[in-house]
Amino acid sequence: MKMKRNWLILRGLALLLVLLIGFSLVGGCAKPAPPQDQSKGAEKPVETVKVGVIDCYTGAATTYTYDALDGFKLALEEIKEEGTLGFNIEFVTRDDEFSPDKSLNWAKELVMREEVDLLAGIINSAAALGVSQYAKEEKVPFLVWGSMSDKITGEAGHRYVFSMLPNTAIIGRSGAIQMSSMPYTKYFLAGSDYEYGHSVVNNFWENFTEMKPDATKVGELWWPVREPDFTPHISTIRAAKPEVVIVGTGGADMVPFLKAVNSTGLNKEVKIWVHTATDLSTLKPLGAEAPEGIFGTNPYHHYFPDTPENKTFVEAFKKAYGRAPAAFALNGYIAGHSIAGALRKLDTFDKEKFIDALEGLTIDSPVGPVTIREYDHQIISPMFFGTTVKSDEPFLVAGDIVTLSGKDVIPPVEKIQAKRK
Amino acid sequence: MSTLFARFTEAKKILLLLLILAALLVMFFIPTFLSKYSVYLLTVILFTALLATSLNISLGYGGMLPLHQAVFFGVGAYAAALLLNKSPLPPWLSFLAAPLVAAGVALVIGTVCVRLRGLYFGMMTLAMGQLVWAIVYRWYEFTGGDDGIHGIAVPQVLRSIPAAYYTALIVFSVCLLIIYIILNSPFGIALQAVRDNHQRCESIGINIRHHQLIAFVLAGFFSGVAGVLFVILERSVSPSLLFWTKSAELLIMVLLGGMFTFLGPTFGAAVIIVLGVFLGVITEYWLLVLGTVLVLLILFLPQGVLGFVKEKISSSAPERKGVDKYAQG
Amino acid sequence: MDFSAILSQFPDLYTLAGQFFVGMSRAMILFVVAAGLTVVMGVLRIVNFTHGTFYMLGAFIAFSVAQWLGGSSGFWLALLIAPLIVAALSFVVESTLMRRIYDQPRLMQLLLTYALVLAFNDLIKIVWGVHYKSMANPIPGSISLGGATLPSYNLILLAAGPLVALGLWFFMSRTMMGKLCRATATDREMVDALGINSKQVFASVFVLGCYLAGLGGTLIAPTTNIVIGMGMGIIINAILVVVVGGLGNVWGALVVSFIFGIGESFGVLFAPRFALVFPFLIAATLLMIRPSGLMKSVW
Repeated sequence: MKMKRNWLILRGLALLLVLLIGFSLVGGCAKPAPPQDQSKGAEKPVETVKVGVIDCYTGAATTYTYDALDGFKLALEEIKEEGTLGFNIEFVTRDDEFSPDKSLNWAKELVMREEVDLLAGIINSAAALGVSQYAKEEKVPFLVWGSMSDKITGEAGHRYVFSMLPNTAIIGRSGAIQMSSMPYTKYFLAGSDYEYGHSVVNNFWENFTEMKPDATKVGELWWPVREPDFTPHISTIRAAKPEVVIVGTGGADMVPFLKAVNSTGLNKEVKIWVHTATDLSTLKPLGAEAPEGIFGTNPYHHYFPDTPENKTFVEAFKKAYGRAPAAFALNGYIAGHSIAGALRKLDTFDKEKFIDALEGLTIDSPVGPVTIREYDHQIISPMFFGTTVKSDEPFLVAGDIVTLSGKDVIPPVEKIQAKRK
Repeated sequence: MSTLFARFTEAKKILLLLLILAALLVMFFIPTFLSKYSVYLLTVILFTALLATSLNISLGYGGMLPLHQAVFFGVGAYAAALLLNKSPLPPWLSFLAAPLVAAGVALVIGTVCVRLRGLYFGMMTLAMGQLVWAIVYRWYEFTGGDDGIHGIAVPQVLRSIPAAYYTALIVFSVCLLIIYIILNSPFGIALQAVRDNHQRCESIGINIRHHQLIAFVLAGFFSGVAGVLFVILERSVSPSLLFWTKSAELLIMVLLGGMFTFLGPTFGAAVIIVLGVFLGVITEYWLLVLGTVLVLLILFLPQGVLGFVKEKISSSAPERKGVDKYAQG
Repeated sequence: MDFSAILSQFPDLYTLAGQFFVGMSRAMILFVVAAGLTVVMGVLRIVNFTHGTFYMLGAFIAFSVAQWLGGSSGFWLALLIAPLIVAALSFVVESTLMRRIYDQPRLMQLLLTYALVLAFNDLIKIVWGVHYKSMANPIPGSISLGGATLPSYNLILLAAGPLVALGLWFFMSRTMMGKLCRATATDREMVDALGINSKQVFASVFVLGCYLAGLGGTLIAPTTNIVIGMGMGIIINAILVVVVGGLGNVWGALVVSFIFGIGESFGVLFAPRFALVFPFLIAATLLMIRPSGLMKSVW
């Protein structure tokens, strides 16, 4: 009998739940409260610019997305504290679960319901391209700080999209520039079998063979994304007897790849270049197990450049979030300050004027001045080429860092023009 | 017969019909008084509801275990996208052809799958579906690979949200009517008989595989139609539309609404989508909430919400045996 | 036809040997996960998506245990403790949730396990945070095997598969408990009629399966990146292995794991862009040839 009564109570609870869902359904179809039009007051209060951040906050990519978001938040805090900006920047976040159709759902929700002025974020390339298309149609500025696809500001570029981080074209070119001064001739190309992997390696090889026509390719290997164990692939690479291995792998695959390199000792036989091999997101979890002597390019290190600007940023970030910033933190941080930089040129917010202000904007950043290129809205920032070495910290860091100037590593405008034809 | 309306008397049937007409009338005027975003969200609900209802043809009525219905949705969407962007076909013909492509894929997958029973059937749909996903994900030259296709050339007249809404509303209503008629036709009744007792049906000469295959292909076709509606609304496709987690979401919708009711999947789709938006705005842990709600639902309301309501209004015992029976492996 | 051109395309022996180890290594990881799943699916007849989550939990818990203990012995203790913690957790899940749905339709069971996957993903994020975790390799270095280099740790992985298979086979066919499991799977009513509590049998099987999932997670932890969602990648393949190998057939799972691993790694050589397709293609083909699994369901 008691069982039965419990059952009834639980059923009642379930029904209550359903009613709750019903209410939210009704709420869902109702018109949202009209936005308060603050500009129409007698004494003009501070205008608010609302940024809608969409990114993947569930699953494997979160290491990067939270770094970027924290960098962005820090920038907003600093701007607020300084207090000279005539605008109030607000933001809301939405989790797209790494699913492009959900990103698009959220983009529309943010623009139509939340009535944001700007869109930002998105690490998934397909999602970024989809939202970029929507931003173009709705004429809403969209600042990408996650996806590195070179299509965003390349062939699919337009007036309303901005890339706040080096894309695969820049990454490939950076690697090629630095590697072309080395004496090696036999190269092996490998990477994760998805767009990012192929794009990085293709961009590298295209630039590299132009700079160094005598380079030969001795083999190619593509592994599936989320490969659980890389050690066996190393044998294949080794069998081809290359002098240098060019690798395009990213995100969650970086850690197991470098582990496999370390445990097989491949780094002692051949040179390896991987973008972000020197990034904190990768080297910190690896600890002492990271292989030494790996070439890596990275847009940011919290210990380099050794300038007061960078130190201030790192201290502020550590104080706010209890950890050192990795590369993606810089993307969000630059995005925040770029928005403020453009707003400083405006009296009242207007999307078109905002874009005009953002085009060609130069701001000071922890890595020195960075510029948003007028033609394709791609950020011009320096790239750091380094080699993994042991340090005082419990993990490896980048050593022998060479700074490649942003102007050198970004593909010339003509190349972008050719792509857009 | 286990459709929602069949139990009612003639008078009640007419009342119900009037109710549906009234609902349609309200739906017709919705864009004039609801916000743009609500209209967009309703459009999403409409095509998702059609998708969930199509899944229910083979799941609830056919007693099969299609674990990967989203494939046909994705194939429909991709077919529409590719035909619009790359073929010289006029747009309306592309829209008509896309569901046929989905039905074709369903025919191929279905032919292989209906030879199997229960869990093995489910696993086969999963394997075949993931196969299609992998091809779409990697065939860069044709499908755009993992980058997807964006800025699809949907005709200008359909590009506004109200236009997409009306298209979805009309297509949804017509498709649901057709599905309802099919399920109450001799074929549909035979299909449910197959679900409820498949030995007896075999002994009286009903070709079980034949019936199940037709149901499977029909489900694929209507999923393809939903895919076309998706393309009209979003103008952007990516391989995630065909990934198995999308199918899991659909199964959740059908389960929530009640899989042995005709309108249950529609209800479930509406609830999950609206809940997703409103909880997603409030918390980043929306999947935790969804998981918990789902656990509670399975433990305490396994017949789904509409199934529960149906059980309350009609005194007869609930019919929820079919799927289990044929899922014995 | 120009045969010499085709021949020159054909990979040399080193590459083939290399790809063979790719396959073996993958097969073993897949098998350790699938072995636990096949027991659960064989006896309980539940498609258990949560299995992938327990695998992931195994890796996370192993990481925390090793970090807490510190030193190089950390891993070995984690190997002992982490699967036990996972097993204890699975016991809680079984006794509070799973137990209630054994009589439900298959779809309900499947969706319950999926709901748990969703909930656990977020819970892991709350407990462990969002940053990558990596565990130190307990035996660094590598050995040379016929021209191909194999990391020493992979020897453990290669040995773990057959050991797990043998252990399970021994448990199922030689122990009283194993016999009870098989009996319950075949005819639950009869077991109940004999005065044996079939619910207890179910609970033990579930816990055993999850223990193996946790063990798989712990074993893989030193070679990989411990990250939320790592279970999602492997669970579909593992489920397919179990079904294709024959529900509850440990040897079937072993054989199919090999076919998957080797097939995929050699597929990469010939059609690199479609490597992703191979496991599904293999599963579909095998299911077409043997509609109820490659080997007999042992139950």
